[in-house]
Amino acid sequence: MKKLLLCLIIAMLFTVITACGGDEEASSDSDAVSVWVHTSKETPEGKAMQTIIDRFNKKYDGEYSAAIEFIPRSGSGGGYEDKINAALTTNTLPDILTLDGPNTAAYADAGMIAPIDEYLTNKDDLLPSIIEQGTYEGKMYAVGYSESGVGIFYNKKMLKEAGVDLATLSTIDNPWDWNQFMELNQTLVDTFDKPAIDMGFDDQSEWLMYAFSPFLWSQGGSIVSEDGTSASGVFNDENAVKAFTFIQNMVKKGYATITPVEKGFHTGEYPLKFGGSWTITELEEYPDIEYGIMPYPTSPDTGELVSPSGSWQYAMSATTDKKEAAGKLIDFLVSTESLTEITLANSVLPAAYSVIEEVQDKVSPELNFLIEQNSKSAHARPVLPAYPQVSRVFQQTVSDATYYKENSDIQKLLDNKVEQINKALSK
Amino acid sequence: MNTNKRENIAAYSFLTPAFVLLGLFLIIPSILAIYYAFTDYYLLTPDKRQFIGIGNFIEIFKDPIFLQSLKNIIIFVVFVIPIQVGTALGLALLINKQRKGNMLFKVAYFSPVVLSLVVISVLWLYLLNPSEGLINTILVNIGLDPQPFLSSPDQAMLTIVLVSAWQGAGYQMLIFLAGLQNIPSSVYEAGKIDGVNKWQNFFHITLPLLKPTSILIMITTLISAFKLIIQPMVMTQGGPMNSTITPVYYIYQTGFSDRLIGYSSAMTVVFGIVIGIITLIQHKATKEDETQ
Amino acid sequence: MKKQGKTILEYTLLIILACIFIFPLLWMIFSSMKPEEAIYVDMSSIKALLPSLHPSDWLETYKTLFARFNVPQYILNSIVYAVVITVGSTVVNAMAGYAFAKFEFRGKKFLFGLLLILLIVPVETIIITQFTVVHTLGILNTRLAVVLPMMANMFFIYLFRNFFMAVPDEIIESVKLDGANYWTIFWKIMLPMSKPAVATVGTLSFIASWNDYLWPLMVLTDTEKFPLQVAITNINTTQPVYTNQVMAILTISTIPLIIVYIVAQKYILQGLGGSGTGIK
Repeated sequence: MKKLLLCLIIAMLFTVITACGGDEEASSDSDAVSVWVHTSKETPEGKAMQTIIDRFNKKYDGEYSAAIEFIPRSGSGGGYEDKINAALTTNTLPDILTLDGPNTAAYADAGMIAPIDEYLTNKDDLLPSIIEQGTYEGKMYAVGYSESGVGIFYNKKMLKEAGVDLATLSTIDNPWDWNQFMELNQTLVDTFDKPAIDMGFDDQSEWLMYAFSPFLWSQGGSIVSEDGTSASGVFNDENAVKAFTFIQNMVKKGYATITPVEKGFHTGEYPLKFGGSWTITELEEYPDIEYGIMPYPTSPDTGELVSPSGSWQYAMSATTDKKEAAGKLIDFLVSTESLTEITLANSVLPAAYSVIEEVQDKVSPELNFLIEQNSKSAHARPVLPAYPQVSRVFQQTVSDATYYKENSDIQKLLDNKVEQINKALSK
Repeated sequence: MNTNKRENIAAYSFLTPAFVLLGLFLIIPSILAIYYAFTDYYLLTPDKRQFIGIGNFIEIFKDPIFLQSLKNIIIFVVFVIPIQVGTALGLALLINKQRKGNMLFKVAYFSPVVLSLVVISVLWLYLLNPSEGLINTILVNIGLDPQPFLSSPDQAMLTIVLVSAWQGAGYQMLIFLAGLQNIPSSVYEAGKIDGVNKWQNFFHITLPLLKPTSILIMITTLISAFKLIIQPMVMTQGGPMNSTITPVYYIYQTGFSDRLIGYSSAMTVVFGIVIGIITLIQHKATKEDETQ
Repeated sequence: MKKQGKTILEYTLLIILACIFIFPLLWMIFSSMKPEEAIYVDMSSIKALLPSLHPSDWLETYKTLFARFNVPQYILNSIVYAVVITVGSTVVNAMAGYAFAKFEFRGKKFLFGLLLILLIVPVETIIITQFTVVHTLGILNTRLAVVLPMMANMFFIYLFRNFFMAVPDEIIESVKLDGANYWTIFWKIMLPMSKPAVATVGTLSFIASWNDYLWPLMVLTDTEKFPLQVAITNINTTQPVYTNQVMAILTISTIPLIIVYIVAQKYILQGLGGSGTGIK
């Protein structure tokens, strides 16, 4: 028995050591354009990417070829981004990589990725939010292959129970403003005697930036000045105060809870929820919940509908020696056919007008709602090299504002945060 | 002289494998980190790295979040050490015995250590939910006020203390158990003949013989408590209002999210020195104790 | 009579404590055997800690999971890494611990101090420089890059040193007189006499390597070499997240750890045979 165990261990040691020899050959296929993606090959997204690459190799057989590698990321992008950073320091970046929307500016500013305008043949077809997200200093560095969005999910049964006529609810053409939205919340709180909406305040990460910055934009405000050098007089102006007062009031008046229970909307605990396309897929597992989706509430001053957007993109590494082939591949990756494939596989929002036409008959009415809202009101997050710090300050501002007792003076809170943003921008 | 030389050679040959590996994967990277602390290294432009002297260090002492994180971690350490180590010792003594079904208890007490933090954080967030959670339901039923726990800047860190101690105690328990099992039972048998009772047994035989293990556990638990990162990362993301941000978490954020490797390395150096001094004091204190 | 009362009291205490520590494990296992919806519906009652009432549900999640991911391959990789790291780490660290415990040599204090200082280094923050070293060594994308950095560990050296110090010098001297060399003493005396330490370090390093996610992902590019943790993170972060599948893969990943722990604990008891590290 002991001997057997020993043999087994030796065999394992052997695999570990000999395995190195074999790999060198495998990775020496240097003619192929190397592509790194942040998802795993088992996900629908990864599978779709693999078929697209296979199609590319078939179409350009003998001319160009591509090889894809899957590097699954963890929740916050860790893992994959750490690996990109490490590859950068050792000069081993692939020819094409995926990156999250907010990273565009930092990567472009550092000279990691190259402009790709000249390679894109369908730029006019892309949604404005996609172009905005991938453009830094006038050049397009990255191109998103899908979009995302958030709407207000509502539980039809619970709303009816509270006496709300579903026919009168907010629509994309005629969206409710914050006050009307709060009235609905008041009715629901009165009926059920507990918080009405899960806005995701417990997720103190990028979500708070992504989902709450549209309120500021709807009000006409902004986070930093146009040239991206300062937040003074911008993030602490009247518009910002109004937007954050609205966020604070949602908690103060007991409409939203800062500690929602997990899947509260799905189990009928809360009648309302901020949710995205992934929520639609999740809800397929909860057939008892009948739901609809409303657009984002707008500022009463402007009435302008603004919704969150942004997702992962493709970019070309600046150090690649296969620019032409890589450019061809990126263009191929964002062709209508490829984009349609990935959009349907992953149940996400399309990134181009032609793709919207392709998919709208094939997806659920709920997803179509988000697609329509997105094409009319999507706003990209700011394209700044110091985005991570700026975003974190914004996240903390949202989170701090929900502690209304400690931070009843929004103006003071914002003045304080402006300093932090300015400090980050000056680095 | 000759044997001395032979012993030196033997000792070093036993040390070589470990120190070669430590040198490659820990010492060299640490030395590089110390060097980076004096540069303006931005993660995405490694080639443009420049030496900037002690600039980073001056900034650290003006950084309110870093100072807040130091305050937070001290609160954590002060509470977690006695609770966690005490629980661990208690559990180890309790199950260091031959009895029916003992293995089941051993598995139970150790299980939080091997469980994924995903499970632990999902469950505890549920249990600790201020409005729906089980813990508050119990508190209200026995006539106490419900508590905000993780959602309150005052209670969040203490809640993390309790969850960490609960989760980590099994780890130290395992080491205490090994220490207990290393005590020859002949010692106890000698005691039995002398007619000492259980308590005397514990204070005069078990505890003194467990001393080296206890010192080891105190030092290593102290150091790893200072390096707390995962629990606040998954349970509170450092909030609310920075009340659970810890130095290593902040260093990680600055280095990998904000990409300011230079600045984050400088914080690592400062924080390393702080832990070093505290460990040294603790080490000295336990040493003196030993000579009494 | 009195003794019986005491036993009952003791067991009650043990059981209450066991409940406090084991409920997440039970929740994880039973949640993996339910439809997604049931997990959250059951959450507010004791049903959270009970399996689904329909035995036909029990294996559903696992079927979906195995269809989605090549679970056996990930498990095999994880086992290979964990076993190699555990064996390597036990030998390497025990050797160093032996040197610190039983030798007088130049620079001993310095090296031991260095060890304590290294304990302080927050490993999370130097991962990029570690990567640079591995790149320089030219072992990127090999299994060797996964296991080598995990082997030497200050804490385990320290632990071995403590336990080896408890081995009486007389025994070593007596074997030395019989002509045994240092290696024989280490292999035939020190290790067997410190079974609790060996088992403890073995368990802890198996757990550490089993749960490591970030490092393997950094140094490997071939999916075929990824360990189970990569699959777990993937399932747990790919929207939409299905809680029952997360719990199923976590259950699969936790069981080996529990088995290793039980085997190690049994091994200690068997080795001691009631005599401890006394002179046999």
